[in-house]
Amino acid sequence: MSWALAAASDSTQVQLTSQTRILAAIIAIAFMLLILELIRRDRLQERYSVIWFVAGLGMLAGAAFPGLLELVADLMGVRDTNVALFSIVLLLLLGLALNFSVIMSRQAAQITRLAQERAIEKAREQGQNGDGASAQQSRESEEKRL
Amino acid sequence: MGTLVFIPAWNEEASVEAVIADVREHLPGADILVVDDGSTDATTARAREAGVLVATLPFNQGLGAALQTGYLYALREGYDCCAHLDADGQHPAAEVARLLAEVESDRADLVIGSRYRDPDAVAESDDYRPTFSRRIGTSVFRFFLTLATRQRFTDTTSGMRAANRRVMRLFSEHYSPDFAEIESLQLAVRQGLRVEEVPVRMLERAGGSSFLTPLRSAFFIFKGVVVLLVGQFRPRHAEAER
Repeated sequence: MSWALAAASDSTQVQLTSQTRILAAIIAIAFMLLILELIRRDRLQERYSVIWFVAGLGMLAGAAFPGLLELVADLMGVRDTNVALFSIVLLLLLGLALNFSVIMSRQAAQITRLAQERAIEKAREQGQNGDGASAQQSRESEEKRL
Repeated sequence: MGTLVFIPAWNEEASVEAVIADVREHLPGADILVVDDGSTDATTARAREAGVLVATLPFNQGLGAALQTGYLYALREGYDCCAHLDADGQHPAAEVARLLAEVESDRADLVIGSRYRDPDAVAESDDYRPTFSRRIGTSVFRFFLTLATRQRFTDTTSGMRAANRRVMRLFSEHYSPDFAEIESLQLAVRQGLRVEEVPVRMLERAGGSSFLTPLRSAFFIFKGVVVLLVGQFRPRHAEAER
């Protein structure tokens, strides 16, 4: 109670410690190096890496310029910069998850169409080898002759 | 150019031959295609032995994808009309012929065989008797589909249908793999196609069992309502409005 009152009277924001900032910067750089490595090994396509690079750069910017985060926290009306950071990251992940669902849906539709095309092709092949019922009959009569 | 009757089949080796024979007898002029939806049994082999063409999907994709395969084949091969019926023996081919007659005489673009509008109520004895959860689902879908399309449908999940080329064009492009029967009706009506229900007689299934348990039914119904709701916000496509 008294702590809350003290916090309310204190107009300065709860800020990131320099330890946190250094750690964040290291993680951000390591993260972007990992992305580069994945692209280099053909494990990740470039078009899906852009969004991750933007995330890494954002992380780095937040660590290098803490004033940026405080500005955002102010705009959000949040006193604690950490809370602002968590909210932003959560929203970003939500967006990414949705993005993946969209990509997955598109690929599911493509896989379905591929399977359908193959099935139709198979049926056509069967038809060319002899048309359905007549093929069956001619094969039977051949067997009888033999 | 002609008529295609396609039969979506998933693990129906026990009944598929009988269904093919039934279609041959009542629709002698029609070509037959069995769409095998990734069966793990001998469905494809049985159908080939019966002497019909088989489009075998490499893995199970769901009824919607199987039906779309049929529509796509009919469109590409230039058939004027197509029809489909279930492979489990519930749908008599003689009834399919009546649906096709409606399409061929251009009275409708898409015709649905309804088991709930019995043609002669006298033959009530061997009428279709649904389970409790099925009845709930049926009335919920009926209500919402009627609301969405402003057209009365009684058998919203019927798998016995006949269609012309306008429907083939639409369904080969837009056909939900998850909720094929209901969403396709909504889609067709929204595209301005003439959809009509014809009362048919259906039989008890010859093989296989229904997949619906109470919990699954509840989820199935919920999903169906969501799908219908979302479908109301889909854009209308110009290609079918010719």
